[in-house]
Amino acid sequence: MRPQLVQRTLLSLVLGLLFLSTAATGKCSGKYHELLQQLQNQADLMQDTSTLLDPYIHLQGLDQAGLKEHCKESPGAFPSEDALRGLSQRGFLRTLNATLGHVLHRLTALQQDLTVAREQGRNIRGFRSNIHCMSQLLRGSSEMETAEPTQPGPGATLPPTPVSDTFQHKLQGCRFLHGYHRFMHSARQVFKEWGDSRCRSRSRRHRPPRALQRGARRMRPFRRDERLMPRGQLPR
Amino acid sequence: MLFQIQISRMKTSNVIWVGNYSTVVKRDPVLHWSWKSELPLECATHFVRMRSRVDDAKIPEPRFWSNWSSWKEADAQKSLGRDPLFLFPKDKLVEEGSNVTICYISRNQQDNISCYLEGQQIHGEQLDSNVSAFKLNKVSFIRKTGTNIFCKVDQKDVIKGIVLFVSKVLEEPKDFSCETQDFKTLMCTWDPGTDTSLPKRSSQSYTLFESFSGKKILCEHKNSCNWQVDSDSQEMYNFTLMAENALGNRSVSVLFSLTHRVHPKTPYNLFLKNVSGTKATVTWKVHPIGNYSTLLCQLDLLGEGNVIQQHNVSIKENGEYLLSELEPDTEYMARVRCADANHFWKWSGSISQKFVTAEAAPSEALDVWRNVKSVSGHPTVTLFWKPLSKLHANGKILSYNVIVENLDRPSRLEVHSVPATANGTELTLDQYSYQIHVTALNSAGPSPASVIVVSGDPGNEEAEEERINGTEDGFSVSWKPQSRKAIGYVVEWCDHPQDLPCDLQWKNLSSNTTSTVISSGAFRPGVRYNFRIYEISTERMANLLEKKAGYLKELAPSDNPQVVVSNLTSHSFTLSWKDYSTDSQPGFIQGYYVYLRSKAEKECHPGFKKATLSDKSACCQHRIDNPEQKTFVMENLQPESVYEFLVTPYTSAGSGPVDTFTKVTTPDEYSHILIRIILPMIICVLLIMITCYLKSQWMKEKCYPDIPDPYKSNVLSLIKSKENPHLTIMNVSDCVPDAIEVIHKPEGSKIQFLGASKSLTETEFTKPAYLYLLPAEKNYSGPGPCICFENLTYNEAAADSGSCGHFPVTPQAPPSQPGPLTSPENLLKALEKNYMNSLGEIAAGEASVNYVSQLASQMSGDKDGLPTNPPEPVHCSEYKMQMAIPLGLASPPPAENSGLSSTTPLDQSEHYR
Repeated sequence: MRPQLVQRTLLSLVLGLLFLSTAATGKCSGKYHELLQQLQNQADLMQDTSTLLDPYIHLQGLDQAGLKEHCKESPGAFPSEDALRGLSQRGFLRTLNATLGHVLHRLTALQQDLTVAREQGRNIRGFRSNIHCMSQLLRGSSEMETAEPTQPGPGATLPPTPVSDTFQHKLQGCRFLHGYHRFMHSARQVFKEWGDSRCRSRSRRHRPPRALQRGARRMRPFRRDERLMPRGQLPR
Repeated sequence: MLFQIQISRMKTSNVIWVGNYSTVVKRDPVLHWSWKSELPLECATHFVRMRSRVDDAKIPEPRFWSNWSSWKEADAQKSLGRDPLFLFPKDKLVEEGSNVTICYISRNQQDNISCYLEGQQIHGEQLDSNVSAFKLNKVSFIRKTGTNIFCKVDQKDVIKGIVLFVSKVLEEPKDFSCETQDFKTLMCTWDPGTDTSLPKRSSQSYTLFESFSGKKILCEHKNSCNWQVDSDSQEMYNFTLMAENALGNRSVSVLFSLTHRVHPKTPYNLFLKNVSGTKATVTWKVHPIGNYSTLLCQLDLLGEGNVIQQHNVSIKENGEYLLSELEPDTEYMARVRCADANHFWKWSGSISQKFVTAEAAPSEALDVWRNVKSVSGHPTVTLFWKPLSKLHANGKILSYNVIVENLDRPSRLEVHSVPATANGTELTLDQYSYQIHVTALNSAGPSPASVIVVSGDPGNEEAEEERINGTEDGFSVSWKPQSRKAIGYVVEWCDHPQDLPCDLQWKNLSSNTTSTVISSGAFRPGVRYNFRIYEISTERMANLLEKKAGYLKELAPSDNPQVVVSNLTSHSFTLSWKDYSTDSQPGFIQGYYVYLRSKAEKECHPGFKKATLSDKSACCQHRIDNPEQKTFVMENLQPESVYEFLVTPYTSAGSGPVDTFTKVTTPDEYSHILIRIILPMIICVLLIMITCYLKSQWMKEKCYPDIPDPYKSNVLSLIKSKENPHLTIMNVSDCVPDAIEVIHKPEGSKIQFLGASKSLTETEFTKPAYLYLLPAEKNYSGPGPCICFENLTYNEAAADSGSCGHFPVTPQAPPSQPGPLTSPENLLKALEKNYMNSLGEIAAGEASVNYVSQLASQMSGDKDGLPTNPPEPVHCSEYKMQMAIPLGLASPPPAENSGLSSTTPLDQSEHYR
């Protein structure tokens, strides 16, 4: 238990620093690939169940036979991966931003029980900041307007209303967090496909998108080779 | 009114509880009464009815009960939804250790439902077809987020659960007290004990109630609370602290006078001023407490963490105190705390300040000692001193001053400055006496001088050494005073006598002391420590008094001496270990053990006794009690035997290691004799041979010349001694030979010859051969002089006897002639007789010269060899020691048929001359 806690703490620390660097600088990177890589890395870390779900299950005493199987994502609570793939890039970012806004709201409620929820809230804010930067990049490369990242997107589903039944509340929290990690896993996959398609596109045309040629208005440094491991995986 | 209440479960006839409730009934009253069911009401229908009667003492008996009311049904199941499964009670908070009943309601009787408590299945009691109840006894606390209990419908994805929150009743607060720092606020504190709060479910609260004022406040913290004091209105306070949570409450009270609960604030602005070497002034400030309060402040002076001085000062606001009796150059800490001077309650917090006093001149003279030695003929004095303690140094020592004053020749003083890091210096002096002053300097000045007098002439530094024993406490050294003028004594030793430098130590002792115990952490067992006791005279000169040596603890020797074997004979050898130093051993060497063992000898020699070694082997042991005896003679040994020996020293602690024996093999008994005889003989023979080789020519000439020289013949001397004028040496030039008679002596002639003369040995007579030189063949038969050549080389015996041995060879020699010619006289007689006979036999007219000589051998060195061939003429010069004799004395030539000789005519030219 102790090594797992240490591992989680370290992971949270690294992730926090990663996101804090984003939030602290307040500048968006004009480099699409760097930003995309950063989003991928962040999503990669946020999908890790050891950051939220596992501590929650342990804290609430749900790590018992007969209960674990009921800690599954409620259908419709989060957009499916297919639904995310079906969205445009900007639509995807909007949905991601809105969904994470709701996640932040739920995490605030969980903070009283789960101290790591506060740290994860900071991470999500940093991730949303990068979503905002990516939206700015994409907006510069298209004529379409995008909503502000703090507003919920059309694809986001409202979280279930908390109930007075503590037991059900525990299960719902567990399902919510399960869905959150699954959702971040899907987002990670979508971001990965962005990278793959961009590479293919570049290899065909040998030039970046128009907006990327113009560059972003603000630059934010980030180490593209940053890689954070290991991480837990959701049950498939 | 008194109300009797009945409660039934499931059906009205099943009364589970009956109780009374008494209350005062007023006009149009609505009464409330509650009852807690052990079984959740949702799981079973409950019925309640009641009846009443007057319950007033004013109304006389009898008092009758009213009729029972109708049964009122309480059915919570009706309000439940359509879920297939329900579990009750939800989110119940219970006290740890209590019993709890839970139940579930299933909508479908066909469902198989199983329930679990923290993953462990539990089994309950079925109340009816749809309801089952579980009784949990003595529930325990598991986690703050509650104990999970859930039920599942088998084969369906239906799960319902409840969370049971288990907590404790609050502990009674401990150490509840209140105090003020400024008469404006009272701060009450307590120890809340175990935290019983549960997130979102059960929190604990603390309430402070003051009974005199009737005020109550809810405390913000679980262990403290602030109470605002009403100005000047209330002196006494009675506080009650109530602790409460969902399960119960506790309370604790305290009554006090405000003036007795003054806890001053921590003083501030603590400063040190006018800090000198021994004094310093401390100032500080305090927060005022009221208008008339006086504070008692405690000023502590700390040095190295310990309180050195403590002073109490009463002040209103500003405090000041003069600290004295401080040590120079010392770090101190001043610490101040205060309390109410009138009613002590608690000390305030402390404020402290470090400071360092100023330096002062060193207060004590250095402890100086000296070591005098002679280097290249000059007395060299090494001064040692011990660094001043911090107490006496009074500051950082910057340097040492050494002033050298010549006492015999008043002259200029020599001043040496020694760095502070040194603890000694070396001075080269002459043969005079010097007074040496040593002082230590710091920034404030010098220390008192330490004076020592050193004489250039060390004088008699010898004293007999005495042995002392060490103990755990050290060495007890005592001495006898020599003079009454001693002003003190110094005991000197080395802490590490085996090292260089040996870390010289000394101890000063007063004049009335005659013993002391020398102890040092450096003392080790098995090390010899030498102590010298010096008497310090009034002139401050040190004179050696006594010498002591001892061991803290004697140890057995660790090494054996290197033994040399000498004087090895067949019966003895000598062992010596003169290089072995007895002074550097781990104990006083008391003697030696000599071990001897031999396979040849089973018994020990006298002086030895049998001993058994550690390896169980036996040997002989001899003990030498004199440590200075470093030789030992092993005697009575067997020749040609192997002996093993070992010499090991011993001390009072034991002997050295008995491990490696040295082998010695005694030699043969006669070998030394043979060596003594044969060796000189060989040398002599060699010398003779060398001499002979070097003088071979001389020897040859002397002993065996190839041609005898007649002039060197012994016969000549004999003749001369007889003064025979007829006998002269004939020169070869005078000889005119015309024929050579060669006399060949065959082998068989020996017998014949022996018959003629038996006085000579056979060998002696086989050697001679004669060569007769005749003038002419016709003269052969006639008389005439004959010259006989004699070669004495071939017959030493004859030569020695003075005879020319060939005379008897004539066959006609009368047998009457006596045998051996052993003397010159005999030889001379024989010669005379033979010659005379010959002359008589030969006619005078027929006298002729006969050359009788030896026939030179054809083979060099083979004088016995008989020539088979006719002899060839050899050079005349090879004839030596010839002499001329009268012809009449010459032997007649042998007959031609004679077997003793043969005559071979030679040509003229072949004759020898």
